[in-house]
Amino acid sequence: MVRPRRFAWLKYTALIAGLTIMVFPLLWMFRVALMDAGAGISLANIASSQFTLDNFADLFTQNNIGQYLFNSIAVGLAVTVGNILFCFMVAYALARYRFLTNRLVFISVVVVLMIPAHIIIIPLYVLTLKAGIYDTYWALILPWLVNPIGIFLVKQYLESVPPSMEEAARMDGAGEFRILFTIVMPLCKPALAVLSIQVFFTNWNSFLFPYILTQSDNVRTLPVALALFQGHQAIDWQHLMAGSAIAVLPVLILFAIVQKQIVSGITAGAIKQ
Amino acid sequence: MRSSKATAFVLALPWIVTFGIFWLFPLLYSFAIGFTDYQLLARDYHWVGLANYVNLFSDPAFLAAIKNTFIFVGGTIPFTTVIALAMALLLNRSFKGRGLFRATYFLPSITSMVVIALIFTNLYSRGGYVACLAQLIGFTPPEYGFLYDRGTALYSIMAMDVWMSVGYYMLIFLAGLKAIPDELYEAAEISGAGRFRQFFSITLPLLRPVMLFILVINSIKSFQVFVEIFVMTKGKFDTATMVYFIYDSGLTTHFSFGYASAAAYVLFVIIGLFSILQFFLLRRRQPLW
Repeated sequence: MVRPRRFAWLKYTALIAGLTIMVFPLLWMFRVALMDAGAGISLANIASSQFTLDNFADLFTQNNIGQYLFNSIAVGLAVTVGNILFCFMVAYALARYRFLTNRLVFISVVVVLMIPAHIIIIPLYVLTLKAGIYDTYWALILPWLVNPIGIFLVKQYLESVPPSMEEAARMDGAGEFRILFTIVMPLCKPALAVLSIQVFFTNWNSFLFPYILTQSDNVRTLPVALALFQGHQAIDWQHLMAGSAIAVLPVLILFAIVQKQIVSGITAGAIKQ
Repeated sequence: MRSSKATAFVLALPWIVTFGIFWLFPLLYSFAIGFTDYQLLARDYHWVGLANYVNLFSDPAFLAAIKNTFIFVGGTIPFTTVIALAMALLLNRSFKGRGLFRATYFLPSITSMVVIALIFTNLYSRGGYVACLAQLIGFTPPEYGFLYDRGTALYSIMAMDVWMSVGYYMLIFLAGLKAIPDELYEAAEISGAGRFRQFFSITLPLLRPVMLFILVINSIKSFQVFVEIFVMTKGKFDTATMVYFIYDSGLTTHFSFGYASAAAYVLFVIIGLFSILQFFLLRRRQPLW
């Protein structure tokens, strides 16, 4: 279809202006992270100061950042593995078995999807205190091992997978759980890939719950440490931005590699309704 | 088929357990303690009926939190929605470099909120980048920086929030635009409808379900704004929102669990009503625009 091209330049101007606005703050972060630690953050210094990796080195030698990174990765992996397994199991139950109690399970999934999670910060805090898991990895992992969006995503995918292979295996006398994990699960790989990326990202960036459910350095995650880093003395922007860059870099790299899965994870949620 | 029912139950068990322990119980528990004076360090607690709710609505801090939350929601969502739609329209047709633009616009959405809040704290600081820009266009920036001024703090955070979330909603709009069949536009073209006519008669009406989805999830999310407030102002300078109030009254100095839980339920009801309202407004068959 031939379209008028009169406004093409206007379109590109708008697009490039948008691009500049969107990347500028992130570039600013990397620039400050690579500045001399002593220099003030003025426009002149931003333009002229030399590039150095010292701030990153300092974080690992003089700060606990290694520990925070480890915590973020450990919690992130545990939650992701949990979600792959449990969202799959629940989604399979919802997609393949239909009777009343199952409907109730499905309704509870939809309800939680609509509930604003931040309203349970008080009871969750009390619960972790009473259960003795406050300030442990468990408090950061257990509540998030299975999530409604993940269940939705996998259920939707499963509904497009014909049950013929499962039925054939069932005829051959294979057990339910064997069918589930050796036949159906491999078929769901694309959906599970989307799910795990989404869960890992969400967890990696999460702040409120990790913050209120922990208090010691050996369980606190990177975003929590960064948010509290500010408070100590006058803000040390170079080191703070270096820490921020460490929190952002894995996400940027992963995004560059698996952009397609991330995008389809986002839009899957939107199309379902 | 007893055994298949049992299998389904076992498979659904992880969710049933999680739902019971981490959702249903907390929701019921906080509803109950909302009627008590429960505090962390108090020896025991008492039933106080509706006192928490009555006190909330005469607590200036809570009323200010409601006001700030509504300013935040009402001031960000229209901008986010319109800018996201404009971006999606610009990127809807394929052209060279589209993937790059789409990816960069989306970048802030996958970046940690804490990190973004920290970067903007720097950009908004006294003598910082935004202050320099403001001076350049002849506007005097607040003396101690944008986040240390009652008149600008909340609006600065809101501007950042629009910046960070447009990319996400752009992607959802793009998915919605893709679902509109090309033939509709071709037919409109043949019958002589211009670009604007096509937009208002085809694109907007057919985007309505997507629009509804975006408005509902964005308001559920925006009513719960917390992280940026915590990182950037600690609720000072007229920026405390409802979740900040819940956090502040329930999990700092006094640990007033009962009072904070009551506040959480007020927020719950507001979000619920708001979602229902949007649902009914956008469900109507006649075009609203």
